[in-house]
Amino acid sequence: MKKAYDVIIIGGGVVGCAIAWFLSHFDLKILLLERELDVCCGISKANTGIIHSRSYLTPGTVKGELHQRALSWFPKIEKELDFHPSVTGALTVAFNQDDLNYLKSLKNIGKYDDAEILSPQESLLLEPNLSDRIVATYYDPRAAVASPFRLTLAFAEGAALNGVEFHFDSSVEGFDHQGKKIIVHTPNENYEASYVVNAAGLSSAKIAKKSGDQIPVFSTFKGEYFLLDKESQGLVKKILYPVPNSLSKGILVSPTPEGNILAGPNFESSCADDTSTTSQGLNEVRAGAQKLVPRFPFNQTIQIFAGIRPTLPERDFLIFVSKKHPGLIHLCGIESPGLTASPGIAEYVGELLIQQGLSLKEKDQIIFRKAFPVFHDCDWKKREELIAQDPDWGQIVCRCEEVTLAEVKYALRMNPPARTMDGLKRRIRVTAGRCQGSFCQMHLPSIVMNLLNIGIQDLLKSDKNSNLLVGKTKKVVNTHATPH
Amino acid sequence: MPHHIDCDVVVIGGGPAGMASALSAWNHGARKIFILERNDYLGGILNQCIHPGFGLQIFGEELTGPEYAARYIDQLAKTSIEVMTETTVLDLTPNKKITAVNPKGVWEFYSESVILSMGCREKTRGMIFIPGFRPAGIYTAGLAQYLVNIEGYLPGKKVVILGSGDIGLIMARRLTLEGVKVEAVVEVRPSLSGLIRNYVQCLLDFELPLLLSHTVTNIFGKERVEGVEISRVDQSWQPIPGTERLLSCDTLLLSVGLLPENEISRKAGVSLCHFSHGPFVDENFSTDLDGIYACGNVASVFDLVDYVTLVSQKAGQSAAENRDKKPIKYQLNPGSGVGLVIPQRVRQVNDGWLFIRPDQSFRDGEVQFRTQGKVFDQKRVAVCRPSEMVRYDLKNIHWPEEGGEIIVEIVGSSVEGI
Repeated sequence: MKKAYDVIIIGGGVVGCAIAWFLSHFDLKILLLERELDVCCGISKANTGIIHSRSYLTPGTVKGELHQRALSWFPKIEKELDFHPSVTGALTVAFNQDDLNYLKSLKNIGKYDDAEILSPQESLLLEPNLSDRIVATYYDPRAAVASPFRLTLAFAEGAALNGVEFHFDSSVEGFDHQGKKIIVHTPNENYEASYVVNAAGLSSAKIAKKSGDQIPVFSTFKGEYFLLDKESQGLVKKILYPVPNSLSKGILVSPTPEGNILAGPNFESSCADDTSTTSQGLNEVRAGAQKLVPRFPFNQTIQIFAGIRPTLPERDFLIFVSKKHPGLIHLCGIESPGLTASPGIAEYVGELLIQQGLSLKEKDQIIFRKAFPVFHDCDWKKREELIAQDPDWGQIVCRCEEVTLAEVKYALRMNPPARTMDGLKRRIRVTAGRCQGSFCQMHLPSIVMNLLNIGIQDLLKSDKNSNLLVGKTKKVVNTHATPH
Repeated sequence: MPHHIDCDVVVIGGGPAGMASALSAWNHGARKIFILERNDYLGGILNQCIHPGFGLQIFGEELTGPEYAARYIDQLAKTSIEVMTETTVLDLTPNKKITAVNPKGVWEFYSESVILSMGCREKTRGMIFIPGFRPAGIYTAGLAQYLVNIEGYLPGKKVVILGSGDIGLIMARRLTLEGVKVEAVVEVRPSLSGLIRNYVQCLLDFELPLLLSHTVTNIFGKERVEGVEISRVDQSWQPIPGTERLLSCDTLLLSVGLLPENEISRKAGVSLCHFSHGPFVDENFSTDLDGIYACGNVASVFDLVDYVTLVSQKAGQSAAENRDKKPIKYQLNPGSGVGLVIPQRVRQVNDGWLFIRPDQSFRDGEVQFRTQGKVFDQKRVAVCRPSEMVRYDLKNIHWPEEGGEIIVEIVGSSVEGI
């Protein structure tokens, strides 16, 4: 017997998880299939993490419309998923007259009363480390930053709480049609569904092809980043954008919600699975960051990384119903502002599904997600209460990010659970701090193997073949020294 | 309510520095002393250093790390010093209130003196900007050492080690003994970073190749390391195009330097030195905040644990006595040829030492002490190298009558090669 679902979502990135959460509000049997061992392993894991709280995109684009729609979802996300972007505000920085003209056009498009064009003096008062070569900035006080991992996980956990099933290590190999049903093939199992949503990100084109659909060729572009130690906190308090060029928003400098500083991304042509950094790319980011913040402290770097984004020639999102099967929807080219737009995309996909005949009946009751406490963010009183409830809260596993054993245990048992070291990192920030795991990875392998009851061969960093350890040391065979 | 403790001395960290300073504080009359240690055992990194080579200066014999630690653990057991393990300090205020947590709750210590002895951490891949993928199999050498020696796990089968620091050299031998193939030890400097004895005993004896003036310029493998690209570097450590070559391996170990762990010091507002990355300290290892002392690798990374013990004993004594201090007379700064000096502040010259770390290897060198542009003392050093600090008794330096800023320089002919 094939397992049967009303809706199968392919892809556990922020978009797939947002769709899962959105649909979990309705009386549906839903399955999310993810090729990797966790959610948030593709495009969603490496981007700038900005919630564009306002839309400046050209009206008439799908991107612009879904971004706009998404904004009304954030209050609901805060309420139901206990997820809160950090509002930092943003400055778009002009270095010459052309740039200034762009700022004026932004002001025009936005028509936001509280956004304004600031003089260099006013800008430097807000951001003293900003270059003094600026001629003006456009200040939008509402821009926010969010952890892309945490947003994706909030969607995923909210969806799981409301009945969505997650199957990992399940790459979709093909489709079959049986009457009105779609059969989805994976190496382990075949599933049956009335509706399928292809939100497979970088693989969405490949998957569309498997269903017999043609989609335009999209290109992939790589963006590289520097992440600074929390020691740099306060270097900039707002997101600093350059004036964008025709290709991208440019290399920006931004605080992260956790208190680090991020610089990047550049924009370079790349193949879909190339997430490697290059000295050339890093140098570009260096120059870009230094243009905005001349004294950018690269010596406080704790990590460098690269992310990939798919872009269609029109630079718009493409969301459409399959020509081969009325129950199949493809999503392609979801690049920036995909993170922000994800709930808007989810709502739109819901509408398409209704058009295709799916009936959405709201559930009587929705379970709200309550974010698990983050020890580092708790005040002393709360910390005392937590330790009194469970001594594991008093055991710090990761010194840099002050993560406790209680949080490690939670990350391994939550749904969807962490199964890899990167899964732990994305949930609770172990190994994400200044030592990058040099200390906590002394203890984590044993903790994780014990709690999951797995052996060395199953202890992974991220992917299936990313074994952390290869075996055990030699046994001491003779414990009694023999005289020479 | 948090547990509230009033005491004479709190020592943050129970490694060699913490143990020696606590014992010294005890021997100099302090009675209510606490050592706060985050692991569930004392001894810190010594526990994973199962090779010999410790204690020659202090005990006149070669001990392993655990043996060296055991000597102090035994001595501690004979005192009433309270050791709290599994206890992590999360905050320190300028007026010496320490807040820590452990499974029993939140603890507040109000102490006359505080000794910072948190040790150091290893530099990582991101800090030295090695481009490439981020697969499994990239480890700092100390982490790998812990996994092998304490946990009994093997990190890989075929290893390239970047950095010829001591931990890298020691791990080259240790892994070879475990049947792991060490492809090469790669060093960006033109000369060895670690101790000569470690080069001889860990690389030469096992015929392991050392590539000087080389660095890793790319990491391959999406899931697990599949190889690294190495390149020759020029004098400013920049890779020379065209010299790239691929070393196939499943593991990259990084032994590229250590950084004092001063996050707690920073919270208290202790001033930190740009060169040592530790607090500015005087000859008694007092920081610029009254009653807060710093010793061992949190003050400056030392090459020998014996030195850590020496300076920590000094800090422990000062913390126990916690006297009013004479004004700072000399402020020491590194000049050319010198990476750092410790202490950076000198109040009195009758007792204590000066440690100088060369920033490169010199032959027929001379350490010169200058003030206001004039050399007031000079000392010959036949050979010196970045891995071995030069040490003088403060009283053996001919200090000028007038106080002020003093520059310490090393001149001599540069050395390339081992």
